[in-house]
Amino acid sequence: MNPLAPLYRAIEWMPVLAQDITVLVVLVMPALIVGALVLVGFRPFPLVRAMLWRFRWTNALFVLLIAVSVGLGVGLIAQERGLRQGTARAADPFDLVISAPGSEITMMFAAVYLQPSDVPLLSGEIYDEVANAPDVTLAAPIAFGDSYVSSPVVGSTAQFVTHLSPDLAEGAMFADRLEAVIGSRVDLALGDSFTPAHGVGDAAEHDAHAHVEYVVSGRMQPTGSPWDRAIIVPVEAVWEIHGLANGHAPENADQLGPPFDPDYFPGTPAILVSAEQLYVNYALRAQFTTDRTMAFFPGTVLANLYSLMGDVRQVMSIMAVVTQILVTAGVLAGLVILTRLFARRLALLRALGAPGRFVFSVVWSYAATLIFSGAVLGVAIGYGAAALISRVVSAQTDILVTATLSWPEFHLVGAFVSLTVILALVPAFIALSRPVVTDLRS
Amino acid sequence: MNRRGFFATATGAVLAAPFIVTGAAAAEPQVRLRELYERDMSFTPFALENAGTRVAIEGFMAPPLKADSNFYVLTNIPMAVCPFCSSEAEWPNDILAVYAQRVVNVIPFNVKIITRGTLELGTYTDPELGFVSRVRLIDAVQERA
Amino acid sequence: MSLDLKIDDLEVRAASGRVLLSVPRLSVAAGMCLGVKGPSGAGKSTFLFSLAGLGANSSGAIAWGGTDLMVLSPEARAKFRRHHIGMVFQDFLLFEELSAAANAALPGAYSRRARQAVIARKAGDVLDRLGIAHGGRTVESFSGGERQRVAIARALAADPEIVLADEPTASLDRKTADRLIEDLVRMVREEGKTLIAVSHDPAVYTRMDRVIEIVDGAIVSDEVRDG
Ligand SMILES: Nc1ncnc2c1ncn2[C@@H]1O[C@H](COP(=O)(O)OP(=O)(O)OP(=O)(O)O)[C@@H](O)[C@H]1O
Ligand SMILES: [Mg+2]
Repeated sequence: MNPLAPLYRAIEWMPVLAQDITVLVVLVMPALIVGALVLVGFRPFPLVRAMLWRFRWTNALFVLLIAVSVGLGVGLIAQERGLRQGTARAADPFDLVISAPGSEITMMFAAVYLQPSDVPLLSGEIYDEVANAPDVTLAAPIAFGDSYVSSPVVGSTAQFVTHLSPDLAEGAMFADRLEAVIGSRVDLALGDSFTPAHGVGDAAEHDAHAHVEYVVSGRMQPTGSPWDRAIIVPVEAVWEIHGLANGHAPENADQLGPPFDPDYFPGTPAILVSAEQLYVNYALRAQFTTDRTMAFFPGTVLANLYSLMGDVRQVMSIMAVVTQILVTAGVLAGLVILTRLFARRLALLRALGAPGRFVFSVVWSYAATLIFSGAVLGVAIGYGAAALISRVVSAQTDILVTATLSWPEFHLVGAFVSLTVILALVPAFIALSRPVVTDLRS
Repeated sequence: MNRRGFFATATGAVLAAPFIVTGAAAAEPQVRLRELYERDMSFTPFALENAGTRVAIEGFMAPPLKADSNFYVLTNIPMAVCPFCSSEAEWPNDILAVYAQRVVNVIPFNVKIITRGTLELGTYTDPELGFVSRVRLIDAVQERA
Repeated sequence: MSLDLKIDDLEVRAASGRVLLSVPRLSVAAGMCLGVKGPSGAGKSTFLFSLAGLGANSSGAIAWGGTDLMVLSPEARAKFRRHHIGMVFQDFLLFEELSAAANAALPGAYSRRARQAVIARKAGDVLDRLGIAHGGRTVESFSGGERQRVAIARALAADPEIVLADEPTASLDRKTADRLIEDLVRMVREEGKTLIAVSHDPAVYTRMDRVIEIVDGAIVSDEVRDG
């Protein structure tokens, strides 16, 4: 359980920003109080600077050690949030997905993140039932399975394209069976034509659809999701290419988009459903959870994954915190040894008549400077690492992951600084307990 | 180091402390979700009286529609995926839209939770999600009961 | 307040119990320049540290103007040193990374703000008088003689009534040593300070009012010179 929970409970009436600031202040307060008590009336900084400079390489190493351990914790939190936000943003247009029964995760990866997999189809009757349910504003078939180079070619409707990208970045919506709207990062230009391959990746059969050529008619806005690499074509075209009925009765065979005729509906792996009434989503989810259909919120699947990811992150955070504390303990032990190097100078100060508290404040400030610099550098390292990993993840998954720094990181660092700065009192006490004359003569 | 800055921050926190204590002392009135509506779907006196103030409501977190969002639905009874036990007529007055202060960590739909937030009455259409709600809790915080 | 030194039954022992220094009785009037001579290892440095209240394992009384350092707490002794004693150590003990001026003004680092400025000014004056013109340079690059002067400036910066100097002319050439001791004695006398200087150097003794000799931890001779 979070030890800060009672504090959050007490301040939950505040605006969130004020809460975060308050928590940060509470966390760094011990450091500030200790600092104020140790430093009040003294100006040890010229001496501290001299000592820092004297052993600059050792000090730099200490700072780096602290920074890396702090960066580990910061990076972990920032990365998890980035992944969560990125995957959630990518799934945002997909409120409710209906498919044949199976694994929700597999289906989510196929329909939302366009990771190919073989799934059974839903029939025209089911599609009809979904599309005609009260309050449904959008029921779009998502017919994946073909590809062009590394882009999945997905059959759907104009409404679906508009759902993903309310305005097109350029060009126009497909108005003809062999026109296509491409995602923002597809390597084609308006007017280009291409032949889709049957299947995806290495298993694709490139000449299966050799007689078909799509022409690019429009391009969508960036969505930060794998759909940026997708090519969307009329679902009728996908059906026809595979030698199936095209969803409409022969008398209006040229129609594009809904309504579809259940008798001529060859099937779709998934249907994206959108409803404006909140409860309708839940009602549809209940209604289409049957032995023939599976209805799920990608949001829920993701949230459960996040919850798992959060648990893993928490375990790793604990390890990161333990690392931080161990590293700092090591650094402070190092400081005790280092203060032996300073022993003569400290003895000199005391021989000259400096108050014990002044000598104490010199040693503490020295340690606190290392800790604070390490913490600040650690934030930079953590952010840098998260930014780097985010870029790699974005490039590999097409899910836009951006690293940001937010309050939890600063809370972590604040608590770290407070704790270790209090630990830094120990080397200061040890330094003070050394015999003056012995150190002077050494 | 700037010692005045030090003290300004420290003083600020000390000044904030009494407010923290005052805030903690005020315990929100706690009701069950059903106690917001009358049978005819009008608001109860409790709902009308406490509109605009912080209240605590007991219920269950429905499986979220959106991942990584501040929004969730509080239900009166655990929302199992069970086609027989949810009669559509009961939907609207059995659920409450909740806008949390922070991104919500999901709590399983069958775990009883307490949600504390400011009660808001009146029809409202969410500009981002497009959902329509008659009652909401805003600035909410939730925890396992 | 006139800080006459009065020692009674002072005995300093090593941790092993061996007596390092034993002074049954000694008085030094304020404003006097006292030289301390004796062979190496005789206990001269031990004697100076005791006078500054830095002796461990000691008994007896070391009173400056009636204040017995032996009964004071370590913090109170530090306060006494801070306000009344300036020390020059056998091997300079400077902060190598700080400038000469900052080294000389070191006592200001732990003094009140108002006093800090006074100390800095005085430190600068003394450096000038001792001929250290480049006070802004870090002392890393200073010669032995220059370092010794910075150490003396530091001892005088807080304007103490008592100056305790351990071998202030050691490792200096004859000419430099003579000039340095002359400058030190002149400044001390001008300001009516008490100077107690340990030295092997006969040239130092000639400028003192009185010279004592320590052998094997005991004062074996005490000679008042007439200047
Ligand atoms: N803490 C101690 N424990 C044991 N012996 C000590 C201790 N401190 C000093 N001594 C011994 O006491 C004696 C006197 O030392 P001191 O430094 O006072 O000599 P000194 O007269 O200043 O010699 P020098 O002229 O070489 O500086 C030496 O034999 C020294 O080894
Ligand atoms: Mg000596």
